[in-house]
Amino acid sequence: MMTSLIRQIYVLMKQVPDQSAKAGINPDGTIDRAKAKRMMNPFDRYALQAALHTKKLYGGKVTAISMGPPLAEEILLEALAHGVDNCVLLSDRRLAASDTWATSYALWKTIEHLGPFDLIFCGLQTTDGDTAQVGPEIAERLNLPQVSYCEDFRVEGTAEKPNLNARRVIEGGYQWVRMALPGLVTVANSYHPLEYKSLRGAQMVLSLQRNPEEKSKYIRILNLDDVQAEPKETGLVGSPTIVAKTFKIAEIGGSCVMHQGSSVEDLVGDVLNNTNLLEFTHA
Amino acid sequence: MSPEEKPNTSAEPMPEIITPSNREVCIVAEQVEGEIQTVTLELLGAGRDLANKLGGKLSCFVLGHEIGELPAKLIAYGADEVYVADHPDLKYYRTLLFKRVICDWFHAYDLPPHIVLLGSTTTGRDLAPRVAANLKTGLTADCTELDIGPYEHTSKADPAKFGLYPGCLYAVRPSFGESLKARILGPWNNPQMATARPGVMIPLEPDYNRTGIVTQVPMNFQTEDYRSEILDIVRELNNTVKLTEADVIVAGGFGLGTPDGFALLESLAGCFENSAIGASRKVVDAGWIPYQHQVGQTGKTVRPKVYIACGIAGAIQHRVGMSKSNLIIAINKDPDAPIFTFAHHGIVGDVYQVVPELIKQLKAQAASAPKATASTSA
Repeated sequence: MMTSLIRQIYVLMKQVPDQSAKAGINPDGTIDRAKAKRMMNPFDRYALQAALHTKKLYGGKVTAISMGPPLAEEILLEALAHGVDNCVLLSDRRLAASDTWATSYALWKTIEHLGPFDLIFCGLQTTDGDTAQVGPEIAERLNLPQVSYCEDFRVEGTAEKPNLNARRVIEGGYQWVRMALPGLVTVANSYHPLEYKSLRGAQMVLSLQRNPEEKSKYIRILNLDDVQAEPKETGLVGSPTIVAKTFKIAEIGGSCVMHQGSSVEDLVGDVLNNTNLLEFTHA
Repeated sequence: MSPEEKPNTSAEPMPEIITPSNREVCIVAEQVEGEIQTVTLELLGAGRDLANKLGGKLSCFVLGHEIGELPAKLIAYGADEVYVADHPDLKYYRTLLFKRVICDWFHAYDLPPHIVLLGSTTTGRDLAPRVAANLKTGLTADCTELDIGPYEHTSKADPAKFGLYPGCLYAVRPSFGESLKARILGPWNNPQMATARPGVMIPLEPDYNRTGIVTQVPMNFQTEDYRSEILDIVRELNNTVKLTEADVIVAGGFGLGTPDGFALLESLAGCFENSAIGASRKVVDAGWIPYQHQVGQTGKTVRPKVYIACGIAGAIQHRVGMSKSNLIIAINKDPDAPIFTFAHHGIVGDVYQVVPELIKQLKAQAASAPKATASTSA
C-alpha cells in the first residue's frame, strides 16, 4: 500500500499593515496601526502556495499558524479559503512587543504543542519587521535543518526517509540543496505566486463567518498557557532587543534639477545636455 | 597624546561594561570559492572602529577549505586575530556545519565576545539567526550604521532591564514603512549581534604590514550536521542581474502600471554598454520581476554611475539602496513623488512617453557624435 511522503505541514503567517493603502499612513510617513488596512504578509502568500503545492503532490494536511491579535484571524480565514485544512492563532496580550527572539520562542512552543510534522514553511521575511530571522530562529530551537530563500523544490525519498530537493537563491545565481526531513523552509518571492482561492473555499469561509461555533472547529485560538510557554520568555520582557530611539532620516532634498518643457522631446534633450548619460552608450 | 600613540584609540577611557564580555568584536567572514566577499572587508572597517571604541580586539572567523592566504588579507583589512576552520566539509556554506563550528567556539569562552557581526547576504541572513538563537542572544537585521554608545533603561514596562549600560552596540536600520531610522540595541545579552547591509560600511585601506594572530579552531561535527548537502551551484552570467557591477541601472516601479513596462526599460538599458535592470520592492512583491532585481532595504545596495528611476516613488526603503549613485535621473508622473527630493535630475511625465523619446535621442546622438566629445559633465 502506498503511503504518502508527507503527513503534516505547518505554514507560518503574519498579518501586517498594508503599506500601499493610503489609510492609516500619517503625513510624516509613520503608520497608525489601528487605522491601517491589514493584509497577509505578501511573502507568506508564497509560503502558503508552497504548503498547498506540497499537499497536492505529496499528501499530508496543512495547518496555518499565526501569532497576533484576534483580528489576525482574517488572514487565517483567507488561508482556509485557499485550501489549508485548519488553523491555529496564538493570541495573548503578553506577546505584545515581542522581538524576533521572543516571537520564535512563542511559535516554537506552539509548534511543540501541536505535535510532529514533516515540513514548516515560512515567508522569507515580513514587510513590517523585515528581518528574515524568525524562521531560522524557530529552526534552531527545533534543531531542524533549513533551506532559506527557497524558490523551487520537490519532495523525494521514501515515507520513512523523505527529503527535500530545494533550489535556493544565492548572490548571482542559485544552488540545489538536499535536506533530510523534517525541516524548515523560508520561501522567496521568486517562487510561484499564490493561486486563486476556489469557489468552494470562498463559500466555506463565508459560511464560517456566519457561524462562530463552526469557525472555532477550523481556527483554534490558543494562549501562552495553552502552549505551556513561559510569559517571561516572550513579549516585551522576553525580548533581548529594544528599539531605543527612532529618528527622522535627514532630508537631503532641494538639489534636484526639475526639467520642465513644452514637449517630451525638449525635456529629454534638456536632460541629455545637462548630464553625462551619453558617455555610457555603446561605442 | 603623543603622535606615536595609535591614532584610532578613542580619547575617553571606556567606562566599565556592565554585562559580562571580553570586549571582543568578531566578524564572521564570508568567502566564496576562496574570494573574501566585499561585505566582510566593509564589516572589518566598521568592526575596527567599534573595537577601538570598546578597547577590545577585532577578530574574524573564516570557514572554508584550502583557504590559503585569506587570514593575511583579513589582518591587512583590520583583524587582530583570525579564527580559521579549514575542512573539506566546509568548502561550501552549509547552515548546520558552519553553525556548529562557530557556536562551539563561542560556547568555550569564559566570557562571550561583546559583539558578533555578519553580512546581510543570503548566507549571513541564513546563518546569523541560527547563531543568535543558539547563543541565546538578540540580533538586529540589515543595519546601515553601527556604533558604540551608552543606554539607560528607565521603562517601567520591563524593570528587569533597568540600568545604565555603557558600551552598547548601536545597530541602526531604516524602520520599514516609515520614514524613520531605528536604533536597536540589546546590552543585556552578549554577544550583541547584527547583520549589516553590503555596500554601506567602508573598508580600511589594506595594510599588509599589520600583524595578527592566526588560530586554528577545533571542529567537532556531529552526524546531525550533515542533514543537508549541496547538490549543485549555478552562478548566472546574466548581466541584467549583475546590479552591483553595472555602470547604468534602469529601474522600474509600480508607476509602470504593468509588468510589460519592463520590456521598455530593457530597451533603454540596451542603449548602454554596461547596464542592468533594477526594481522597487513593490513590483518584486507583485511578481512583475524576480527578486534578484530588487534595489533597496531588502534588495541590493547599488552605487552605479547612473540610476534611471522610472515610475519609482522613492520610498525610504528604496532610497537607502541607491541614493549613493553618482547621477540619479527620475521619471515620474507625480510631481510630489519623494524621489524628486533626492534625484539629481527630475522629469515629471509619463514613462511611456519619456523613455521612448530618451531611447530615440540616445540612439541618434550616439550615432551622430563621436563618443569622446559627446560627454558633458553632470
